[in-house]
Amino acid sequence: MKRPSRLKIRCVLSGVAIVLAGALTPAAAGQERFRRTPPLPDSFRELKLPEITSIPLPNGLTLSVTPRPGSPLVTVQIVILAGERDSPQNLQHVATLTARMIGRGTREFSADDVENMIESMGGDFSVTVFMDYTVLTFHVLAEHLGRALDVLRLMVLAPEFKDQEVSTVKRVYSYELRELEKNPVLTGRRQLLRVLFEGHPYQASTSSWDVIKYITPKDLQAFYTRYYAPNNAVFVVSGDVDGPAVAREVGRRFNSWVRRSVERPPLPPPPVNSKERICFVDQPTSEDAVIFVGNLVMSPASPDYFPFLVLNQVVGGTMNSRLFMNLRESKGYAYEAFSEAEFFGTCGVFCASAKVTSETIHAAVQEIIKEFQGLASEKFRPAEIEEAKSFLVGNLPLRFETLQGYAARLAQVVALGLDAGHWKRITDSLMLVNVENVLEAAQKYLPAVPVVVIVGNRQWAAEALKDFNLVEVYDSTGALKTNLRQGVEK
Amino acid sequence: MSKLTTSFMTAALLFSFGPPCARPQEAVSPGWKFPVEEYRLRNGLRVVLSEDGSFPLVSVAVVYGAGSIREQRGQIGLALLMENLMFQGSENVSPLQHVNFVQRTGGVLNANTTLDKAAYYETLPSNQLALALWLESDRMRSLQIIPGAIERKKEELLDEYRRRLATEPYMESYAVFDTFLYPDFPHGHPLIGTGEDLKKLTEADVKAFYASYYLPGNAVLSIVGDIQIARTKELVARYFDSVPAGNLVPSPPLPQFEQDREVVRSLKEMLFPTPGFHLGYRLSPLQTGDIYTLRILEYVLFRGRTSRVGTRILKKDLTAYYMNAELEERPGGPALKIFALNNNEVMAERCQKAIVSEIDKLKVGVVSEDELDKAKNLFKLDYLRRLASRVDRALYLAEAAFEDVPVQALASQLEQHMRVNPQAMNSLVNRLFVPRNKVVLNVRVR
Repeated sequence: MKRPSRLKIRCVLSGVAIVLAGALTPAAAGQERFRRTPPLPDSFRELKLPEITSIPLPNGLTLSVTPRPGSPLVTVQIVILAGERDSPQNLQHVATLTARMIGRGTREFSADDVENMIESMGGDFSVTVFMDYTVLTFHVLAEHLGRALDVLRLMVLAPEFKDQEVSTVKRVYSYELRELEKNPVLTGRRQLLRVLFEGHPYQASTSSWDVIKYITPKDLQAFYTRYYAPNNAVFVVSGDVDGPAVAREVGRRFNSWVRRSVERPPLPPPPVNSKERICFVDQPTSEDAVIFVGNLVMSPASPDYFPFLVLNQVVGGTMNSRLFMNLRESKGYAYEAFSEAEFFGTCGVFCASAKVTSETIHAAVQEIIKEFQGLASEKFRPAEIEEAKSFLVGNLPLRFETLQGYAARLAQVVALGLDAGHWKRITDSLMLVNVENVLEAAQKYLPAVPVVVIVGNRQWAAEALKDFNLVEVYDSTGALKTNLRQGVEK
Repeated sequence: MSKLTTSFMTAALLFSFGPPCARPQEAVSPGWKFPVEEYRLRNGLRVVLSEDGSFPLVSVAVVYGAGSIREQRGQIGLALLMENLMFQGSENVSPLQHVNFVQRTGGVLNANTTLDKAAYYETLPSNQLALALWLESDRMRSLQIIPGAIERKKEELLDEYRRRLATEPYMESYAVFDTFLYPDFPHGHPLIGTGEDLKKLTEADVKAFYASYYLPGNAVLSIVGDIQIARTKELVARYFDSVPAGNLVPSPPLPQFEQDREVVRSLKEMLFPTPGFHLGYRLSPLQTGDIYTLRILEYVLFRGRTSRVGTRILKKDLTAYYMNAELEERPGGPALKIFALNNNEVMAERCQKAIVSEIDKLKVGVVSEDELDKAKNLFKLDYLRRLASRVDRALYLAEAAFEDVPVQALASQLEQHMRVNPQAMNSLVNRLFVPRNKVVLNVRVR
């Protein structure tokens, strides 16, 4: 089998070259002994996150405060407990468009006025819509926190859904989604979710841009009225702030936000895929193929969550992980191969991804599935598990270091109602994972038949697709175009 | 290079009347709350330490004065190639193991090359500081330069360049524009160019570049995070003291820019999807305080959603559908660079006139205090947000040390920007935004 050209120099050969070169280097004999091996680490210092203090306000709004002593900036977030899964059927993206209209004008002020107010105080406002919740984020200079709360109150409590602004927001969002469809990685990941979430409200987030044109300002107003209520929101403040003082300030401004009944019945998780499905997304501009092999796993609230994070690390977290070492370094099938786990309110999605040439598509898919099956049946080496844990624990502070990273994690914890094991005791949660837990997680989640998504140029991938029994062919918007049986249209 | 690391250097230089090696200093201001200590090893390596125990992390940056400005004619791409080869192994670290060692700890790493510098940096759990110093010192003293790795990296760089060109068709026009804005070769040539020079680079070229510029005396080691100063100094001495000093590295050439009128050129021979243009001003010579005013001016005109030019061309006139503008700070003087894409050539022309007219308005009138406050607040937000990251702070300090900026100057940086006044802005625009400093490159659809 032909290997990708960029992989032709192999590590083994390079290693030999280095050894030879090293032997010929005059400095080799003269160097200090301590240079020969990597130094041992000093004693480990654990990440300490502050408590999240929750204060209920009379109208049902919950205020959560976490101190960041010394920070000159404050982050204010309003987490609305409704996300893309809550968009009405056939009106996907309504959740996103509604959130994007926050700040695009109020009953008293135009969108330009609001933007001016935000920027005048050195503020930065953004919205992010997840599957289960929406986050309105306002980073602001600490000295302007009061002004920020005033503006946020206007934006959230009295938004206007004017035709012209809605049209602008729709146009921009459509453009962003069309751009996304040019990216093979994003397109492939979206197709995987689309298949895994078939028939489930989570599928709403995977729709293409073409449905946006049917959405009206009334739809956005209706979504806002239904879900933007104080008793369906959490107000999160992080910075160098005093909890009770912030509670007073927030209460004073948001006590007029009227509580109302919000119906949002609990959502069952989507069923795990059990049918062999190979989906090919035709992207004529692709130069290489991108493969995704994945299935549904547990929700973040599950006790298997932390063992699974360690398992994911072992499988494909870094260039030292099994997939990379096998598919790239050993077999030479892929330019790169990793795995990832993404979590939602009711479930998670675990998948391996690899960038390959057309010649190695089939072999790479088979090898990934073989890896999954092998993991479920073999005993892990304790050193391998400890190394994965060490990476995850060592990497934790980096995830919390920036204001944005800290705020995003905090919002997730409060939105999904995760316990302290996901925040203050997160290091303990990881350290307690052992070989048995990981094996158990592998046996529970990896044997299920995964969905395979391949993104590439159909013309040059035609030969490779003959290797698969049945292939569903989609365009980059996700529309099914045809089915191929061993490469031939059915 | 991150904005933070390119910023603030010139300003600090203009006010750096203190001795070049002002040592242990406490710099405290509303914007800069971190203690900084700076010293120099016998081999010339400048070391900057800054303790911040709020997270158990440490960022280590090694910045070499080895950017593309050091390349000779026929060597375009050498600095970038060198950056890639720095991950191909050294005497005690086999190829790519540098990446593996850092990643195993949960750390992250990166590198970048600019006109004047090549920066290597990693952030790790703070108990792994020694590992980072071991890795960085090993490649500073004993990089393994192997012909096979050179050829492989050349191929990868060219491949990456071709791919980027396919998805970013305006990349080439950016490079062409730089040759007009910076007509002298050391300053105006691109990082990689067409790739013709890169293909011809030899093992001897690479070895000579490494031997000439990857030297302790031409580098700064910056360490920021959860460190103990005494212990860190011990580790720095252990790993870097014995790295040979090498030859003295000459200062890079200063840019030449002399034109007596506006220069307008067009680019037609490349395939572009829609028309657009590059508009630039070379902003020199600068007077005391000009750089602070320029940075706030950048916010008045271009930054945020409510800037003057953004509002005019993207929201009101709709003459452009994309615009990017930045104040590029380089040795020898900054430049304001604007790039806009338009639906047709008529729109491109109107858009260009609109931008120039917005600049001209600042010549005849002064900006209001409210508008200036808005620009300053946005600047402050960005400044503080960047300082929240240890690695950005490490790079910033490395650059400051590289430019011999005393650490006392750091404390007053933010305050200097907050003092910019409307009259200073009016005077600066009249002085610097003149036709002889202006260069235009029109990008036409073939």
